[in-house]
Amino acid sequence: MDAEYDVIVVGAGFGGPVAAKRCADAGLKTLLVERSGVPGEKVVSGLVIPIYGFLFGPEFIRDGNPPIQRPICSVVNRIVKDGKIFFTDHTLWVPKPITVGYSAYCKPFCTWLADRAVESGAELRTSTTAVDVIMDGGTIKGIVTDKGERLGSKVLIDSGGTQNQLSIKAGLREKFTPEAIELYMLWDFEMDKADVDRVFGNSMEFFHAMPEEKIGAPLGYGSTLYFFTYRESIHPGLGQFLVTRGETPNAAKLLREYFDNFTGTIERWKQDIAPKVKLRSVLWDVCPIYAGLLEETRGMPIYGDGMLIIGDAAGFEASAFGDGVPNAWFSADIAARVAIDAVKKGDSSKAALKAYKDDVKADPFITHTITDFRRWDMRRLLLTKDYSQFKRKIRDHWGIGAFRYSNMGGPCLKAMGRMMKDDPTVVASWLKMFTRYWKNWENNSFDRLSTD
Amino acid sequence: MARTSEELPGVEWVEGAGQFVTIDEAKCTACANCVRVCLGGCYELAGKKARIKSLDNCLECGACWYVCTDGAITFSWPPGGTGFRSDWG
Repeated sequence: MDAEYDVIVVGAGFGGPVAAKRCADAGLKTLLVERSGVPGEKVVSGLVIPIYGFLFGPEFIRDGNPPIQRPICSVVNRIVKDGKIFFTDHTLWVPKPITVGYSAYCKPFCTWLADRAVESGAELRTSTTAVDVIMDGGTIKGIVTDKGERLGSKVLIDSGGTQNQLSIKAGLREKFTPEAIELYMLWDFEMDKADVDRVFGNSMEFFHAMPEEKIGAPLGYGSTLYFFTYRESIHPGLGQFLVTRGETPNAAKLLREYFDNFTGTIERWKQDIAPKVKLRSVLWDVCPIYAGLLEETRGMPIYGDGMLIIGDAAGFEASAFGDGVPNAWFSADIAARVAIDAVKKGDSSKAALKAYKDDVKADPFITHTITDFRRWDMRRLLLTKDYSQFKRKIRDHWGIGAFRYSNMGGPCLKAMGRMMKDDPTVVASWLKMFTRYWKNWENNSFDRLSTD
Repeated sequence: MARTSEELPGVEWVEGAGQFVTIDEAKCTACANCVRVCLGGCYELAGKKARIKSLDNCLECGACWYVCTDGAITFSWPPGGTGFRSDWG
């Protein structure tokens, strides 16, 4: 071995730095490996991170000043029929400074997270691709980098994202089935802050439609067209599953067509938005939205001898939201706790690491969100074409109904109860977070980044 | 050195990524799934096989790899610090 570590974390996206910081805080010799030159510059996501990640995830994020783009206080759901907005649901809102989430660009946010890991004593190696695992018998003992270095670990944490390679090389997982994977495309438009404030305010907006409107994938087979709002920009985007009604669609053509049809017909775009925006970037990526709902992927291992798999690499994407960040944070926290225990006890065998699987299962959010069938349920509407049911489902699934116990209300109450039992003062930390994050946004003032 | 593309504003590609996606011709059945899902237009059909035209517009999403049910496409990460990068993801 060229170097030995207690823990090697592969991938400095949203989950990896959290796991690395935790392990470094516990005094473990920790290495965080990232293939891009700067953390987050290969992460693509139109991103509003749901609030439950901030409230119930790592306390250093909750108590810190990460670079957010815009606090999001409400969700506007619109249904399009015959090329026009036919129905608007605006029942999901909270009074400011409370929010339902915060939008963010991935590069500054992931850099901020990686900075915290480094501050805690983790070693960060950017521009380094982990190309293979080192196996000894059936045990994972470290990684091989693209420079040929052999780096040893007692515990390897794979935070390699959707297209994770290491857990496949380790023989633990197979690539996700394409039925679970959504290909999404997004457009980054510059827009004056005053215009974003006026046109969207602190809202994000969704446009739902039946397939004949041709502004999005068939319901339940992709992300309906969304507008995520940032400080001085907006991120419209949409997605299509790689297998849709049993076939591989011409997604490359369709995604562009849907967007062109939307911008060509919907007055909201043509009048309120288009005159005020300038295209800055076009991007796309894939994410494992239905991994928790499909038989083939649900049972895939998330740990092995000497190895733990977290975040999107483990398929932990919230299927109703298409957001993996909170689950990346929760699973990173759990993985670090288990890794620290394993290193301290000198036993990182599969049996010792089983606690990771048990704790992931017991987490109020991970299992609940990856098996959340709200988006999947929209497939039923395709058969009925019933617009009154359409309106009801939108309100129940992504309007006010999102607060219901069986949706996100239950997991949130469970997490609140659990945390308040451990420390009742956590309530003050939550309130302080809302006011501090809001003030940071108003002042456009966040922690300095190592890249500034 | 970083390269840009007029088709895809706001994206840069750092040289040196090499051939990180490959097709095993013997396994390819020309189903064209890769052609259909690649937003970068990296693939084309040449005769009875899919062929990589160019990885110039590749954003390393791996969609081609997921839909290749023949197992003909291999996908690996480009070497550290190379390939696509963006400030707007």
